[in-house]
Amino acid sequence: MRLNSKNWKSRLAAGLLSGMMVLSAGGCTHPLERFTTSFLDVFDTASTIVGYAPDQQTFNEQSGAYHDMLERYNQLYDIYNEYDGLSNLKTINDNAGIAPVEVDQEIIDLLQFGKEMYEFSDGRVNICFGSVLEIWHDYREDGLANPDEAELPPQELLEQAAEHTDINALIIDEQASTVYLEDPEMRLDVGAIAKGYAVARATEAIAETGMENAAFSIGGNVSAIGWKEGKEGNPWVIGLENPDLTAGDYLLTVSISDLSLVTSGNYQRYYTVDGKKYHHIIDPDTLMPANYMQAVSVLTTDSGFADGLSTMLFLMPVEEGLELVEEMDGVEALWVEMDGTVVTSSGFDEYIND
Amino acid sequence: MIQRQALEKKKSFGRRDLILLLAVLVIGLIGIVILYTRPAALNGEVEVAVDGEVVMTLPLSEDTEVTIEGVDGGENLLVIQDGTAKIESASCPDGICVRHYAISRDGESIICLPNRVVVTIRGGEKGDVDAVV
Repeated sequence: MRLNSKNWKSRLAAGLLSGMMVLSAGGCTHPLERFTTSFLDVFDTASTIVGYAPDQQTFNEQSGAYHDMLERYNQLYDIYNEYDGLSNLKTINDNAGIAPVEVDQEIIDLLQFGKEMYEFSDGRVNICFGSVLEIWHDYREDGLANPDEAELPPQELLEQAAEHTDINALIIDEQASTVYLEDPEMRLDVGAIAKGYAVARATEAIAETGMENAAFSIGGNVSAIGWKEGKEGNPWVIGLENPDLTAGDYLLTVSISDLSLVTSGNYQRYYTVDGKKYHHIIDPDTLMPANYMQAVSVLTTDSGFADGLSTMLFLMPVEEGLELVEEMDGVEALWVEMDGTVVTSSGFDEYIND
Repeated sequence: MIQRQALEKKKSFGRRDLILLLAVLVIGLIGIVILYTRPAALNGEVEVAVDGEVVMTLPLSEDTEVTIEGVDGGENLLVIQDGTAKIESASCPDGICVRHYAISRDGESIICLPNRVVVTIRGGEKGDVDAVV
């Protein structure tokens, strides 16, 4: 009995001690702090980086390096602006039918990926669709600036432009590091893949700076590496925006680690003509905005593939896309149909938080 | 024998042990309370940045209306009400910021790309979401 009582006391003491050790490990000796930064100057979108680092300076250096990488990709893949001493996609477009342009390897790699995506998507994702997208872009910009005078592009104009979208006229010479558009009317537009591709490359490279636990949110592209708080097994929580932006909360949240999530949707970039919304993802068959769904989100490791695939899925009926995703390994997707119904591939649900 | 009995008596659970136990428990409880409630203080702030520069910081707890001067003469009307912040109206063509729901949790933000305005909640109620797509 007395022996028991002593035992009980030492057990209690041991319990209290270990309890205190757990508490102090969780509350005090933890070396990582959470930091956040935002910027607006890449890929015409808002970007946020959340990361865990030992101190502010380390985080600033790491997130700064990430930003600088994206800034470089943004300049290389820009089709609207020129930069001093830099050959970019605009240079290639401006030299269509004139001359091959010598470019950096990052451009060659992106365009090769674009060709792969074209094959994979049976032509739905086409980086040589710029002549058509340019028309939509101009009409959208005008319509946003002067909503009362907003109009749709004439079908005839779109059809003429669509004759200059043959990806075989994109000539890539790996040996000479040159790119040439044989068709003088053809234009590159890498909007469907460039952001995701750049995020994928930057996220791969950031490990060199020692950044191990971070979530990069670049427009509709999120890539999360490592763990929240740097604690193994503690995934990042990503909110999926509700296509109905007035709904007041996320559609749902998912928990991920070392994965990318990319959404293509009709609710962010659009303009209104006669009370009807026209968004920016154009169906190559109809030359009009695709109308199969409100949004589709793709979950997979490579953010570039996620970006291209989300565009591809946005351009096909939900059932067809679902069938395709179910056949693929390491890819899950979630669709929001026109009436708001949510459809998920069989493996997506395990990422969804209750 | 008597000595041994006294020794054993000392070893048993006595009044002093109880006081010590209670003291340890109370100190532990106070520690837990301090550790886990510290960040939950209701002092969230609304940080407004234009083109990357923080131009104002407002308490989330005080209802107010402020016009944010964005770039190129653009304007966003920020309304703080009942512990939430939203953009009531704006000069930008796309209106994405106006359609965005009211924000209140740490790290949530509303962004107006044309006016280069970013409204972010700092501190206050912890948000559980790290990023949004």
